[in-house]
Amino acid sequence: MNALNYVGNLKIQNVDGPDKVTGRAKYVVDMTVPGMLHAKVLRSPVPHARIVWLDALPALRVPGVAAVITSEDFVANGNFGWPVRDAYVLAYEKVRYVGDAIAVVAAETLEAAQAGVAALELELEELPVVSDMTHALDVGVPLIPQTSPTGEGNLCATYLLRNGAPDSILAECPVILDETYTLQHQEHAYLEPEGALAIPEPDGGVIIFSNTQSPFVNRDTVAAVLGLPEDKVRSIQPPVGGAFGGKDDVLYQTAAQVAKLALLTERPVKLVFTRAESVTASYKRQAMGIHLRLGADAEGNLQAAKVTLVADSGAYASMTPLAAWRATMHAAGAYRYRAVHVDTQVVYTNNGYSGAFRGFGNTQAAAAIEMTIDGLAYRLGRDPLEFRLQNCLRQGDRTMTGDRIEHEVGLADCLTWVRQKSGWERKRAAYATQAEDALRRRGIGVACYFHGCGLGGEGEDFAVSTLKIEEDNHITLTSGLTDYGQGSRTVFTLLAAEVLGVSMERVHILRPDTHTAVDSGPTVASRASIVGGNATRVAAQKLARLLYLAAAAALHCAPEQLLRDGESFIGPSEEPLTFEAVVARAREMGLQLSVAGRWQIPPIHWDFERGAGRPYFCYVFGAQVAEVEVNRRTGKTQVLGIWAAHDAGTILYPQGALGQLYGGITQGLGYALLEDFRYENGIPQAHSFRTYHIPRATDVPEIEATYIETSLRAGPYGAKNLAEPVMIGTAPAIANAVFQATGVRVRELPIRPEWLRK
Amino acid sequence: MGVREAGSVRKKVTMKLQFMLNGGPVTLDDVPPDLLLVDLLRDVLGLTGTKRGCDTGTCGACSVLLDGQLTKSCRTPVAKVAGRDVVTIEGLHAPDGGLNDLQRAFLAHGAVQCGFCTPGMVLAGEALLRKNPHPTRAEIRRGIAGNLCRCTGYQQIVDAIEATAQARAREE
Repeated sequence: MNALNYVGNLKIQNVDGPDKVTGRAKYVVDMTVPGMLHAKVLRSPVPHARIVWLDALPALRVPGVAAVITSEDFVANGNFGWPVRDAYVLAYEKVRYVGDAIAVVAAETLEAAQAGVAALELELEELPVVSDMTHALDVGVPLIPQTSPTGEGNLCATYLLRNGAPDSILAECPVILDETYTLQHQEHAYLEPEGALAIPEPDGGVIIFSNTQSPFVNRDTVAAVLGLPEDKVRSIQPPVGGAFGGKDDVLYQTAAQVAKLALLTERPVKLVFTRAESVTASYKRQAMGIHLRLGADAEGNLQAAKVTLVADSGAYASMTPLAAWRATMHAAGAYRYRAVHVDTQVVYTNNGYSGAFRGFGNTQAAAAIEMTIDGLAYRLGRDPLEFRLQNCLRQGDRTMTGDRIEHEVGLADCLTWVRQKSGWERKRAAYATQAEDALRRRGIGVACYFHGCGLGGEGEDFAVSTLKIEEDNHITLTSGLTDYGQGSRTVFTLLAAEVLGVSMERVHILRPDTHTAVDSGPTVASRASIVGGNATRVAAQKLARLLYLAAAAALHCAPEQLLRDGESFIGPSEEPLTFEAVVARAREMGLQLSVAGRWQIPPIHWDFERGAGRPYFCYVFGAQVAEVEVNRRTGKTQVLGIWAAHDAGTILYPQGALGQLYGGITQGLGYALLEDFRYENGIPQAHSFRTYHIPRATDVPEIEATYIETSLRAGPYGAKNLAEPVMIGTAPAIANAVFQATGVRVRELPIRPEWLRK
Repeated sequence: MGVREAGSVRKKVTMKLQFMLNGGPVTLDDVPPDLLLVDLLRDVLGLTGTKRGCDTGTCGACSVLLDGQLTKSCRTPVAKVAGRDVVTIEGLHAPDGGLNDLQRAFLAHGAVQCGFCTPGMVLAGEALLRKNPHPTRAEIRRGIAGNLCRCTGYQQIVDAIEATAQARAREE
């Protein structure tokens, strides 16, 4: 094979970049069509109540109001949700959180829609509120869902891991740590709020433009609640202004609402959330309570772990069960153990609702275990980085679930890199001897992580890409997986161009559209590059095979004898044949120049009953060091530097990959220090970017980051994944640095200044 | 349109508005003076490159240049722009109409992910470089601190603005 043109090339730029730097990119919130109605949602002002009376008639009398919908307008009252079908397009019989959607009004103007919402007559009978996840299962607590999915009250789901027998091992460990952590809710705070536009079609169907992450799940959900066949619902994804896991269920609801209104009124209908609605009504990262019992021998070799974990799903399950399962699979961290047990409960409360968010449960799990590991190293009098190197996973080791890792493991290399680049030894020693009463004290801390690739035991993990050579010799690419800023459209385009040996400009990737792309499941779990990338590679290999046959016919040789010079094909005669000529020859030969490539992650199996099996087919790894300065008078923590190394196999799109690292780290920094989404008795305490703070450019230090390249044979050109896991090392690294600076051990996030004041 | 709230007592007051937009004059006859500039740009003039991100003047996605100063258009009633010069992202380009050097630097340095903050961020960079042609990285961070980005962690945005400053200095 020739040297690679595009894979790993630092010069490759985002294929959507020119539209975005000029303001030309049309997000759904930017779209307008003639005759379009505007929709506005009536939301619950209380965390828990029975709907006694809801009258839409007064709203319909408001001038300009065209239609009002409630749960009655949908099949099975709009019941939907996966893996637990406990949600509604609009609240049915009861409301379960502040912001729960009850009715939607469509009107000629936004003002008229608002007046319509104000005119709706609603009577609620308030119910007791469940706001503390640790008491959600108490006797006498009111039931939050309509029916309990487990038959045990507010218990939504349970998961377990059984690897060996930790009790007897822990009983003999000379060093044991027993710790409890509380991790808060986190808001995605994508800059583009939720939005959907529906256009009715002449055949009784409907087109939906929405900023969902997963157009096919959107289509299937909407079709089901509307009682339409799937091919009557066309789901199109315009450019999406950030998602991070947050644009699934909430958008399925919104899409179904506008679709129904469009069908009722036979007019286009658009609904866009205000920021206040987005902050209140959209789902969050789930809060978790994690208890860890960890033991090591006198030489500092980790022996066993027992973990119990409670996840606050809030009013609806959304993706919290799957995130809690992932937390279960990672709860003891990236280390070798002789035995690990984990027991996890997912519970309902009236605290908003929670679902997918970057890291998907491992953000919480890694925060807890990495703070505990630090404590254990401290107890043993060991350097925390050295302690991690001693115990971290290496090729051939078994993970905490008992899964043997056959592929290369870059974890020790990541730890070594951050140690060297951060000046770890020098700073660690210097900060250990700071004056006790100094106003500003510094500290340096480390954390590392592993993260299973793809959906794992969460579901079937496949994707399909298609390629077609058009009449003008451009190549059209489709993928069922999507790009909400993370760069997968660029990755798919460069992979197709690489395999086909054509310029990237020749490849045009269509916007995700259920009418032109093939169902590839949801775009979640950082799986786009591996699964969608491999599907694109397979499609491109199929198309290349056809082109090589045509070129061989034209040049009177065997396909194996062909060489490439740019896009041209060269046979034994040394005469170059242009791409266009090869395509023309292929058409003459009657070859069909359109292909589909499907790729599925190699089979794995997790036995949910026994809590054992193989949860993922491969893993990625990383390590981060944070250096902080704490002002002991104000208690404020400033992060001075972050060093990060991540093993994601081969890097396909370097500028994009670095951007994922910087961006993920910044979200982790916010999680550690700023982002505190709290509910007081079910009432959200933040409503805007004024009350919910995400990091600004001045909150973030210069980050020095690298990718440790290992190779995974199954990945496209050896690539693994990176978008999610890169954020999960940051918060514990900062918390561990704060410990060195102040001697205060963090047990809860975000870190509060009042703990650190002296 | 023309739908009015039933029984509304507030009389609609409108004004004639003239200002310069992206280098050309704009005249509008019946504009409510309290209409926000962001809504005028997006809903009346169809310039959707200016984004609405937070409704509270916190995120900077709605940034425009008002007489060369970075300004949040969601905090600016249109009455305030009368007779003044407004530049939106649609008005920023190279003399030949293509991308300008800062826009190209955003692409070359990987400073664009979801792109929703990008128009405001490019304008923040432009406003900074006009005021301070040789900023340090810390000054660049302060210069864009009014603009939130949730995707990039800002570093490649700082890289892009810094590289543009250096390239412009070389051309001087």
